[in-house]
Amino acid sequence: MDQKVGQFWDRYVTKKASRFYEKSQISFEDKAKSLKIFYHLLGGDKAKELHITDKRFLKTSRTLLEKFSGKGKSFFLVWQDDKALYFPATLAFFEDKKLNDMHYYWLCAMLAHVDINNNNIINENKKMANFLIHKYPGFQDFYKNAEEFLLGKYPELSYINPLSEDLIDDNSYPNPLWIYPSVSNNKTLLDFNDEEEISRQDGKKDKTEELKMKKKAEQIDDEKETDGLLLFLPESLMSLMEQVNVDRQENDSFDEDALYNAEDLDEITLGKKDANLASRIKMDLDISANSAEDYPLGKGFFRDEWDYKKEIYLKNYVCIKPQISLLVEPLPLPKRLEKMMRQIQGELDLMELDRIKIDNLPHGDEINLDSWIDYKGHQNRSNHPQRFFQSYKKKTRELATLILADISLSTESGITQDIRVIDMIKDSLMVFSESLQRLDDKFGIYAFSSIKNKKVNFHIIKNFKEKYSDLVRGRIDAIKPGYYTRLGAAIRESAKILEKQQSANKLLLILSDGKPNDVDRYDGRYGIEDTKKAIEEVKQKGIVPFCITIDIEAKEYLPYLFGRNSYAVIRDAKKLPKVVTEIYMNLTK
Amino acid sequence: MSKTYYLPQSNEIELFEAAAGMNLPVLIKGPTGCGKTRFIEAMGEKLGRDVYTVVCHDDLSAADLIGRHLIDENGTFWQDGPLTKAVRNGGICYLDEIIEARKDTTVVLHSLADYRRVLPIDRTGEVIEAHPDFMLVVSYNPGYQNVLKGMKPSTKQRFLSLSFTYPKPEIEKAVIIKESGVSEEIAQKLVNIAGEIRRLSDSDIQEAVSTRLLIYAAKLIVKGFDPHQACMHSIVESLSDEEDVLEVLQKLISLHFSA
Repeated sequence: MDQKVGQFWDRYVTKKASRFYEKSQISFEDKAKSLKIFYHLLGGDKAKELHITDKRFLKTSRTLLEKFSGKGKSFFLVWQDDKALYFPATLAFFEDKKLNDMHYYWLCAMLAHVDINNNNIINENKKMANFLIHKYPGFQDFYKNAEEFLLGKYPELSYINPLSEDLIDDNSYPNPLWIYPSVSNNKTLLDFNDEEEISRQDGKKDKTEELKMKKKAEQIDDEKETDGLLLFLPESLMSLMEQVNVDRQENDSFDEDALYNAEDLDEITLGKKDANLASRIKMDLDISANSAEDYPLGKGFFRDEWDYKKEIYLKNYVCIKPQISLLVEPLPLPKRLEKMMRQIQGELDLMELDRIKIDNLPHGDEINLDSWIDYKGHQNRSNHPQRFFQSYKKKTRELATLILADISLSTESGITQDIRVIDMIKDSLMVFSESLQRLDDKFGIYAFSSIKNKKVNFHIIKNFKEKYSDLVRGRIDAIKPGYYTRLGAAIRESAKILEKQQSANKLLLILSDGKPNDVDRYDGRYGIEDTKKAIEEVKQKGIVPFCITIDIEAKEYLPYLFGRNSYAVIRDAKKLPKVVTEIYMNLTK
Repeated sequence: MSKTYYLPQSNEIELFEAAAGMNLPVLIKGPTGCGKTRFIEAMGEKLGRDVYTVVCHDDLSAADLIGRHLIDENGTFWQDGPLTKAVRNGGICYLDEIIEARKDTTVVLHSLADYRRVLPIDRTGEVIEAHPDFMLVVSYNPGYQNVLKGMKPSTKQRFLSLSFTYPKPEIEKAVIIKESGVSEEIAQKLVNIAGEIRRLSDSDIQEAVSTRLLIYAAKLIVKGFDPHQACMHSIVESLSDEEDVLEVLQKLISLHFSA
């Protein structure tokens, strides 16, 4: 009973203290897509993502009720860093739903204009608010209404009134119409720049021990010294979390304990630390052993990679290792795909209707009136070739297609209980090659996965010269999910291969299941920018890139990478085998 | 006849005149509605040459360009195609959207597009030397995406290339005012809207708003339509069918023209 009363009281006070209008609340989920487009409209960086922000604690003066209920101490502020924009999950400052909706757009416009590196963020906010009001009459109305409303509702915000003399400092109540600096602005972020270079294999290999386990990697900022034990208090719930200092920057003396601990923990926290504790444990996180009988072809090639921060190519930074599966059994087309092939055959037949007319034949399907008239008008009829017929023939297509499949570990995940993504990719490759074979188009099939810049496994399934056969199908069947997705490197390698083809038209078809990523810094923006650069290079070579993905969130980054017309998102991965072929036919009609 | 209005974006008029003077063929690329066709018409008037326009499509045959034999009561006779007419009489032969034509068709241009400047006609056995005033101009929109369409490098590399984009804001504003008679304030707003929408091209919408669409909007406004409505019908709805994009574009319009 006591508990119930307590709960009731708590709810009552919280509700009373809350100054939000929950009924007219607008949620970020519904707006995210529109906001992203809006951000692009206003000239925002297209590589940035949109996220929901966490609460941030601020010291502010609170109303008595707010102090009672514990509210008003933490706020959902709007901020950004160089990777993303952060919005509150919901907005409900205003009674009018339209104002709350407009509030999101306003914040988005502010994010597009406010310079986060300006130290005087208050002045910057004021300046940009003023700019927006003058540029857009629509914002002018909103701002006027919003300001009036907020001033009436929140006496703490008196400082936004231009007539007010109130001073603003760090403890002021946050203005919901402003943008706040990033949390990590003054902290040095983990910088991998001087780490994990290939050149670093010099004699210290013996200190490197491999730890192959599924680990959840997480980066934390451990500027403060803690000795492997951390007390952590989220929402008054006590929990223990062990922390091992696994140092990836130093290679000093080897610490066996760290390795031992790493095996025992569920979660390994990677921190940046320059101290001496330092065994260099080489960890392949989330990686399964790849035991396929892959035969390496040569020692591998080195390719460049684009560093968007430095804006330079890192010369010969990535090592590509071409390999081919030996010991595979030749395999006829699996029974399960036969029905699909029959359906596709129907569409292939339609493609063949798209034939080319050949004139001036001595015999053929139809009489060509033009050449008959031509003959009649010829000055010397005996000199005329007298070829009056025309026929229709199948078009020979001047086209070479390279299909590049992402076989990173994430393809291991299931679509249904029995079907994994990788199975669908395999089926797609089989159906695709079967179709291209029937169309008589030239094609090659490659697959890749990577472990950092040191090893990008580039599997040759079928090169352009090889004939499509049961053996190729065997190789497709033998594909196993590998490691990560260093997409940029794989694209560059594929472009090198396509470049050598003689065909007038070249198509690079990429099958993927997610963003480019790898265990090193090749994640998030770095990976995206390198991939974008690789695609630009591909286009310069006159190759047309096209990406087919089953990542539903791909709309967030694929338009930026490939341009609007050069990708397709397949929601139902089970349709992949059929759709890949259909997309190909549409592209080349 | 009133003179065609054309406001240059940069040095394209000088370049085109120089090309005409030196008998060099010209390739114009640029997005839809940025003034390619208008430019050719204006240059034709300026140079005093007729413009023979051929809009290319994938069924266009070499005979459609060069000419063919036809029949009348007296038997067959030869009818010149637009290309041959321009070659004989002098004038600008303008092939619009040349990548739509099949590549084997465009090969007939090769001998005209280099130093030879001759047009051999197989069917009559004639080899026509181009009139000194003959000029070959082709255009295409590089935005379309199809693997099999595109110009052969050997065709492409015979032309002097002019790349068009949407005009600079001041120029575009002047063009809108001139074409529609709208007030400077509205024209400025339309140009601002266009500038913002064009940032979306390549990622969120297929192709950005053209100057032509802005002029449509301005004309509707001059006719007495509410600016918000005019922009919705002439600009927003023409650009996309996706709801998210439409919603944001509508928002943008309402920010500029508060309803």
